[in-house]
Amino acid sequence: MSFLKFIIKNPFRRKNSAILSIVGICIGIVVIVALGGITNGLVSTFEDTIHAGGADFSISGKETGDSAYGTNTIDANWTDKIANVSGVNEAYPIYVVLTSVGDNYMNTLIGIDPNGTALADLSINEGRIFKDNASEAILGKIYADDNDLSVGDSIKIDGEDFEIVGIFETGDSNTAGGVFTSISKVGDLMDDEDSISNIYVKVDKGVDPQEVADRIDSMYGDNITTVTSVMEMEQMASMLNMLQASSWGISLLAVVVGALGIINTMLMSVFERTREIGVLKAVGWSNRKILTMIVGESLVITIISAVIGSVIGVVLCSALAPMMGLDPLFTPEIFVQAFGIAIIVGIIGGLYPATKAVKLPPTEALRYE
Amino acid sequence: MSNIVEINNLVKTYENGHIKALNGIDLTIGEGEFVSIIGPSGSGKSTLLNMLGALDLPDSGSINVAGYDLVSNKNLNEFRAQKIGFVFQLHNLIPNLSVVENIEIPMFTSKLSNSEMRNRALDLLDVVGLRDKAYLKPSKLSGGERQRVAIARALANDPSIILADEPTGSLDSKTSTKVLKQLIDLHKSNNVTLIIVTHDMDVANLADRVIEVLDGQLVNAGKDSLLEDKINVD
Repeated sequence: MSFLKFIIKNPFRRKNSAILSIVGICIGIVVIVALGGITNGLVSTFEDTIHAGGADFSISGKETGDSAYGTNTIDANWTDKIANVSGVNEAYPIYVVLTSVGDNYMNTLIGIDPNGTALADLSINEGRIFKDNASEAILGKIYADDNDLSVGDSIKIDGEDFEIVGIFETGDSNTAGGVFTSISKVGDLMDDEDSISNIYVKVDKGVDPQEVADRIDSMYGDNITTVTSVMEMEQMASMLNMLQASSWGISLLAVVVGALGIINTMLMSVFERTREIGVLKAVGWSNRKILTMIVGESLVITIISAVIGSVIGVVLCSALAPMMGLDPLFTPEIFVQAFGIAIIVGIIGGLYPATKAVKLPPTEALRYE
Repeated sequence: MSNIVEINNLVKTYENGHIKALNGIDLTIGEGEFVSIIGPSGSGKSTLLNMLGALDLPDSGSINVAGYDLVSNKNLNEFRAQKIGFVFQLHNLIPNLSVVENIEIPMFTSKLSNSEMRNRALDLLDVVGLRDKAYLKPSKLSGGERQRVAIARALANDPSIILADEPTGSLDSKTSTKVLKQLIDLHKSNNVTLIIVTHDMDVANLADRVIEVLDGQLVNAGKDSLLEDKINVD
């Protein structure tokens, strides 16, 4: 029998107590894994959304210039003004309108310069990008699938036939449900070539987007407003930070509760085995070996808890989160966190009882009734 | 015969010196000797045994066992692991381990591999006649069998001295005889020094020498009793 096998066998001498400890720690681990999965899922969705624009920030009108379709517009010449601001690398206008597309009476139609699609972070996975001012459109994968359309088909937009030349994918589910064509074509359809909805801005490499956004605000703040991805990200990040902080808070709570539970279990174990510990000392076991044994036993309980808790956490979260519209994402970091906490709880929970055991004088331990 | 135990003016007190458990003990024990220590309860005989096994340290005096100065030596774990085999009144076997695994416990301090440990434990079970019970839990054994397993455990690291504290104290007379015979046989065959603490004169008289302790002092350092042949332990 190896020393390791001896350590693994020991906690199950008191099966009920060991099982109760495992259940207690398991609950903490389940919460850590589930909350971690949900937080990661939210972070991932958020990042996809943020990156869907591909731009560092966007600009929209300060005053409400309602179009016929209810979308706010600004004058198209703002694009050139913004492009000339120091630090701006690229500025492309987009024109978002609600119009009849296919069978849908009101659908989002987005017009963008064919050269600016990179800023919209569209990944064409079938076909190609539309040409400027042509009756060509690209469809989001979700839209195409929902409407059973593919490249080469035609689609009626605002009463005009458009050829579907490409299908794109993007991390943003809103965008993936939309239809894109050239901005000049949207201007034609709306009979308004001087209006745009937003301007996507990409700053020069190494330049802080917030700095450029502030510059634009100071120059043109009376007429337009910048909505920086960074700002959105900061707002979202602060929310996610709160989620992550609560995840760590729960982890900390799990550590405290788990450690108390395991200390109790291990203390009981040490008290019940006082005479046995005396025998181990009598046969020459060092204090370090006895300490290793007890901390090891504590770790056996917490690691088993981590394994079971992780499995339950993943299964439960995967089953329940989609019902709440959440898409959990389980990264290795979550399991590192869960196992790390289990190991910390195991060490903390085992150390105190182990120290008590080590301090027992052998003669006293052997006399223990 | 060289001395394996040399004790000079050994003093051990408890409760801030109010209780003198050992009060100036001088004692030598030869290598391979079988000695019994007798005395009434509280006389200090178990304290003396604990000192011999380095389970407790004296307040003053010197104690040298198997070449180890137990007062100055800091590595008493090594001493206990390599030189001493303990047999207690209660077997103190670990209930969730099999008989053979219990015997392997002291060997965790050695450098033996797992298979070497297992082979040695099985050999020792052969010696105490319990090979067929190797994989049973201690709860499946009789009281005498458990104590024989404890004897095998005491021999695990091939000690120089076996210290037995009332080894038959919890056994009936028939089983006691069997267990004692086993201990004495092992003492003879392995030339291991055997020191038994007992209050049973029949057991004490089996020894080469009977040492009597009273109020922490030796009242009789004992002479060769050579009573072993008087009692048929068979």
